[in-house]
Amino acid sequence: MINMNRESLVVLGVMLLAAPLLAQGKPLTVTGVRGLTFGAVLPGVPRVILRTDPANSGQFDIKGPKGGPVLLSFVLPLSMTGPGGALMPIVFGAGDAGFSSTQSIGSQVGFDPKQPTTVTFPNNGSASVFVGATANPATNQRAGAYTGTITLTVTVLP
Amino acid sequence: MALQLTNSSTQKQELEMRSITKLSLVVAALVLTGTAVQAQTNNASITATANVQTPINVLGAQQLNFGNVFPGVNKSIAATDLTNAGRFDVTGQASSPVTISFTLPATLGSAGNTMPIVSYTGVHAQNNAQTGGTAFSPAAGASPSLNASGALWVWVGAQVQPATNQAAGVYTGSITMTVVY
Repeated sequence: MINMNRESLVVLGVMLLAAPLLAQGKPLTVTGVRGLTFGAVLPGVPRVILRTDPANSGQFDIKGPKGGPVLLSFVLPLSMTGPGGALMPIVFGAGDAGFSSTQSIGSQVGFDPKQPTTVTFPNNGSASVFVGATANPATNQRAGAYTGTITLTVTVLP
Repeated sequence: MALQLTNSSTQKQELEMRSITKLSLVVAALVLTGTAVQAQTNNASITATANVQTPINVLGAQQLNFGNVFPGVNKSIAATDLTNAGRFDVTGQASSPVTISFTLPATLGSAGNTMPIVSYTGVHAQNNAQTGGTAFSPAAGASPSLNASGALWVWVGAQVQPATNQAAGVYTGSITMTVVY
């Protein structure tokens, strides 16, 4: 009985210790806050949206890890799809993504969204990623609404 | 003897309990570890959207027609001449500003002979009657806007200067207008 109680105590201790540890490392969440909006695009006229554009840039919010390295990687479309399957190229430049440890669009560190990038997460457990791009419509681009999907994957590194 | 049996049973129970406790510990550790690992990666998506406007279409609707020209007598066709001025019809996105530019020939040709064409004039308007139209220099281009229906009309006039010994014949040349948003 003494041994059993001792082992129970160990289990209890582990669980009690683990609970605060889990609470400290909150579940990682990534949220798509705002879509990347090109608005009206004229055929033959490239349309650039900067990552610092507060109304039209794309935004993801990340919550969870308190400090430490985090890997950011995107799945980016090569084109947007429009009426009848028409395609319009979308280009992501080397500085079209930005990481903000303060979640402020005015305070970003730019990075290449085409390359997996490691950033240091802030101790408060909240950060944002902003993304811009260029839409390149052809001179005979079919009129209509075009869409594409941008996915951000966040991995907490050990 | 009976006491020994009881002790043996108790020891067995303790061993079982210990095994259960160890198992619980392992399960708890696995659950906790599993939870932690599961939370290490996550993703989300946003949508990129664009609304492409109507492409520009340009039609050479009417030729610039000088009619009969006599050697040594200059002849002008005004851009305001709805019958003889050259006319381009433009369609595109309603109310959008556009930039128009021209490639203008310096001469007209006929079987190896040339005749100078100079003094180009232009008018653009948001209707085909030139009401409220704006004069401009084709050589310099212009920046009008399409009307609320996405249409624009552009007229071009010029002057030909036949020499006194200009060879008779039909003289032609190409005027090209380019329109971009």
